[in-house]
Amino acid sequence: MNLVSWIVLTPFIGLLLVGFLRHVEAVRWMTLGVTLLTLGLAARLWADFEHSAAGMQFVDRMPLGPLPFEFVVGVDGISLPLLLLTAFLAPLCVLGSWSSIKENVKPFMMLILLAESAIAGVFSALDALLFLLFWEITIVPVYFMIAHWGGPHRIQAAIKFIVFSVAGSLLVNLGIGELNSAGGHTYDVLALMQVEYPSEVQTWIFLALFLGFAIKIPMLPVHGWIADAHGEAPTAGSVILSGLMLKMGAYGLLRFCLPMLPEASTAFAPPIMWLSVLAILYGGAMALVQHDFKRLIAYSSIAHMGFVTLGIFGFNNQSMQGAVIQMVNHGLTTGALFLVAGMLYERTHNRTIDDYGGLYATMPRFAVVFSVFTIASFGSPGTGNFIGEFLVLFGTSFHSYTMVLLVMVGIVLGAAYMLGMFQRLVMNPISPLSSTLVDLNQREVACVIPLVLAIFFIGLYPTFILDPMNMSITALVQDIAPVQPLQMVEP
Amino acid sequence: MTNIAYILIPALPFVAFLIIALRSRWLGEKSHRLATPAVTGSFILSVLACIDVYQNGARSIPLYSLINVGNLAVEASLYVDAITAVLLLLVTGVGGLVHVFSSRYMQADPRYARFFAVIALFTSAMIMLVMSANLLMLFMFWEIMGLCSYLLISHWSSRSSACNAATKAFLVNGVADVGLAFGIYLAWDTFGTVNIQEILTAAPNYTDQTVNLFRGFFGLDWQVPILSLIALLLFVGPLGKSAQIPFHVWLPFAMEAPTPVSALIHAGTMVNAGVYLLIRMGPLYLLAPNIMIIVAILGGLTAVFAAIVALTQFDIKRILAYSTISQLGFMVLACGVGAYGAALFHLLTHGAMKSFLFLSAGSALESLGEAHHGEPGASPRTKATRQHLPLYAGALILALIPPLVIFSGPYERLWTASQLIQSQVFFWGFGLATVFFTAFYLFQGIMEIFKPPGRIDWHEGFRPGMMRPQLFSASLLLGLMPMTAGLAAFLVIIWSGFLEFISPALPITEHLTTQTTGWTPTNILIGIGIATAGWALAFLFHAFPGCPSERWEERKKTLYVFFLNRGYFDEIYEVMVIRPYSRFSAWLWRVIDLGTIDRVYMTSAHATGTISRWLWRGIDVFLIDRPANRLATALFKMSARLSKVVDVKKTTQSELLRIMLVILVMLLILLVVVETLLSVILH
Repeated sequence: MNLVSWIVLTPFIGLLLVGFLRHVEAVRWMTLGVTLLTLGLAARLWADFEHSAAGMQFVDRMPLGPLPFEFVVGVDGISLPLLLLTAFLAPLCVLGSWSSIKENVKPFMMLILLAESAIAGVFSALDALLFLLFWEITIVPVYFMIAHWGGPHRIQAAIKFIVFSVAGSLLVNLGIGELNSAGGHTYDVLALMQVEYPSEVQTWIFLALFLGFAIKIPMLPVHGWIADAHGEAPTAGSVILSGLMLKMGAYGLLRFCLPMLPEASTAFAPPIMWLSVLAILYGGAMALVQHDFKRLIAYSSIAHMGFVTLGIFGFNNQSMQGAVIQMVNHGLTTGALFLVAGMLYERTHNRTIDDYGGLYATMPRFAVVFSVFTIASFGSPGTGNFIGEFLVLFGTSFHSYTMVLLVMVGIVLGAAYMLGMFQRLVMNPISPLSSTLVDLNQREVACVIPLVLAIFFIGLYPTFILDPMNMSITALVQDIAPVQPLQMVEP
Repeated sequence: MTNIAYILIPALPFVAFLIIALRSRWLGEKSHRLATPAVTGSFILSVLACIDVYQNGARSIPLYSLINVGNLAVEASLYVDAITAVLLLLVTGVGGLVHVFSSRYMQADPRYARFFAVIALFTSAMIMLVMSANLLMLFMFWEIMGLCSYLLISHWSSRSSACNAATKAFLVNGVADVGLAFGIYLAWDTFGTVNIQEILTAAPNYTDQTVNLFRGFFGLDWQVPILSLIALLLFVGPLGKSAQIPFHVWLPFAMEAPTPVSALIHAGTMVNAGVYLLIRMGPLYLLAPNIMIIVAILGGLTAVFAAIVALTQFDIKRILAYSTISQLGFMVLACGVGAYGAALFHLLTHGAMKSFLFLSAGSALESLGEAHHGEPGASPRTKATRQHLPLYAGALILALIPPLVIFSGPYERLWTASQLIQSQVFFWGFGLATVFFTAFYLFQGIMEIFKPPGRIDWHEGFRPGMMRPQLFSASLLLGLMPMTAGLAAFLVIIWSGFLEFISPALPITEHLTTQTTGWTPTNILIGIGIATAGWALAFLFHAFPGCPSERWEERKKTLYVFFLNRGYFDEIYEVMVIRPYSRFSAWLWRVIDLGTIDRVYMTSAHATGTISRWLWRGIDVFLIDRPANRLATALFKMSARLSKVVDVKKTTQSELLRIMLVILVMLLILLVVVETLLSVILH
């Protein structure tokens, strides 16, 4: 049992402990304590992480008796930031649902812990079956959060979510099974990375895995679930979903598709990059016409995750590091936006943007934090998103200027819809709905301040995230580079 | 001067911003006590920096490693040379005075602390922009200034018009910044660095290089000279920030901000950034003469167009806004013909002048009751002479500076050198036209305010009385600055002193230093004569109301209406870009996202439901359930008969058990038979 195993298991143990508590306040404080403990462990992991090593660190291997897989966890520079992000967002989820969840508090808190444990597992599992197991578990808490604590159309949203998720899992399942049978009947990720698959096998495995991951990201045509699920989910559900679970798909691409199936990955890169560019423009256009702020943020996620996939399939150091840092940034900013949107929703139970207006006067604190998250969301300099988008575009400019130009149009669109929402919510004349609202309380401020600090910290000192992943990404790029030099195949 | 002192120049206002932002409730109306000394401190340090640069030359100050990814290494560092030093003086000077002025002007504003926090950040960002050693940092602060302008224009947030103007300003700049950002990517792609000095040093080696504009786009190939492309793209950013055609539409609307902010935007920060970038990247532009022609044409067009539009406007703040656009066009024109020294000089004098004009307009308007959104003849007569005296003085000097700039021209040799002989004619033509119109509209505008009472009577909220001492002293101080500058400009010695100071940093030293100035008495007389003509015409129109502009208006001359409506730029953008795009987005959402993608999923879900229901009814219910039910019914009937045979009530417990055992054994036998049968069938 080392640090990584503890990060995965602490929330799970905490979940069992929380189950024994009776008092609601005790449940909340206990959950917060457990998530903070996990955050402490993750911070320790960050401090102990060796920056100059490319491979897996803190590998922990525990045989599980008769089961066909082992409990193997470990981190490298790609999973480390995501693991830290998971540990960072979980306490904020707890704080964000402190008062908005009024009934069945205990099961809700247990679901948060279950989600945290499973997502941490996804980001650190080094056994393909273990990965799959955690992957499946993550669906459960979010499904119940939407279906039980969600908004008015929660049942439809929950069913949509679970159908898409299970379809995605099935494809990933298929892909991993095929990886196993074509790659010497092992589920060990590190062993699978050494296997050289024949190219026609690669194509099919890649398609299955990619489609499965694409549903989770979500990429363009398979994004049908995202707006409903995000719109109807309770705050913590939205934060976990957008902040953490969307990253699982991109992480899967980086962990399985690229290192194990380099030929197929390079072959499919151009269409995927174009699809990502399209997603950025499409997500922006969708967000521009939304009237519901949670759905708007959900559509903006499609655009932001477009940057991530664009960067991943850019196959160079800049774009891929940009993609990973963009995952972290998107987790922070979109998580933050859902948190504050949840705080607003908790007060009014109204998600229509145009019913608000003039919140600057009635909720000045809210206005300040919301403006910070707004500018972060469209990638204003000084925030982490700027660095991420900038790096991705730097990497993309090797391939195509047209793409860079289109993506920049997408960034302007991002500014348009985010500022449009900001103006309609926070500025303008004071509407009757917003004239009665009370400002954020101490707990809510405590919930968003860490996010504000983190966003600016990454924006002004991106080396904090970039340095640990440098070697891992470099190694990954070198893995792919021999297959194909950095030249774009014309689509 | 140590590096720390240089770092303090932007750091002081930034720290003030942080403290005010974090402790806004506690500071409240005392915020200026923190912000003003901070900016003043920066100003003092800027003066020291000027002296230091003059004595010791340029200096770069490394801070820390911002990004280090693969072969992309960006060092956050500062670079101070003569251009930066004089701009620092302007930014901190104007910034400081705006702070002093605002401390009274914004009194009793509910968002006093927020206002001071943002103008401190604004000043700090502009300082950082002119000190940035690399294009990436420059771009970052370029954007942060855009944000500050957004926050300041929307200061009176309860006015929808203010919020719309803020969004408009930000988005127009955002579109233009796409060009700038693209230029930066290309520059890095070409030179392998984003450091400005390294780029400028390396640029001459790349004159013959071309690049495929359609890289990675379906195999298309269009080779363009790389330097021209970079120069053109970098120019798009200044088009937005410095409000040039076609991106000028945001600036007139920016007057929704409190008046001191206009002074800051038009004079100290923001719009100067674009011209600064052009001057800074001057050596690159000199290597791309074809792009310089574009720069000059757009600048010249803007200068004349905005001047004529200003002529037709009634609102003094709007007139000043178009005047800024026109003067900026003038500076861009100067950059376009390689007159970088003149552009910088005009940048400084115009900055001082425009802030002075805005502040005096602000104080005059405040005493008139802030109703500057005047219709013709809407203003009352006012006896307040002390208020509009500065306006007249400012207008006088502003009208006089452009001719001086034109004829400061040691640039004739440059024009010959760069094969741009026509540009001389071009420069003079556009320049003199601008001079004429500038003088005209400025005086017309000022007279318009103090016109005799007109059709609308609006004495409500009219606050007569004198200017407050702070307002007056600040505007007087500001008035003195340009007056000195203007007077000094008459002295060739000062100009040459400026040149001597600035020339080490300017792109074309050899041309400048060897040239005599073009300030012959004839040239000066021509310039001033044309300005006076404009002034006289304005006075004529004012003295004989009814004959001039109103008669034009009655006739609805096409041209007049065209310029009155500001060239219909806003309407064209609204109709051609904004509305179609929102409609397209709405269509995309309704028809594609909900109507197609979502419908496919929903239809397949419904189809699954239908198929399942059919399976349930057809197979499950009909083929499996019904036989099973029948079997169950039959069994039930049978057992009923059985119970008649074996009377349950009368049988004993042991008999019942025996019967159950028999049934169990029979079932087991049945199971074994079925199993055997199945295995036989299957194998």
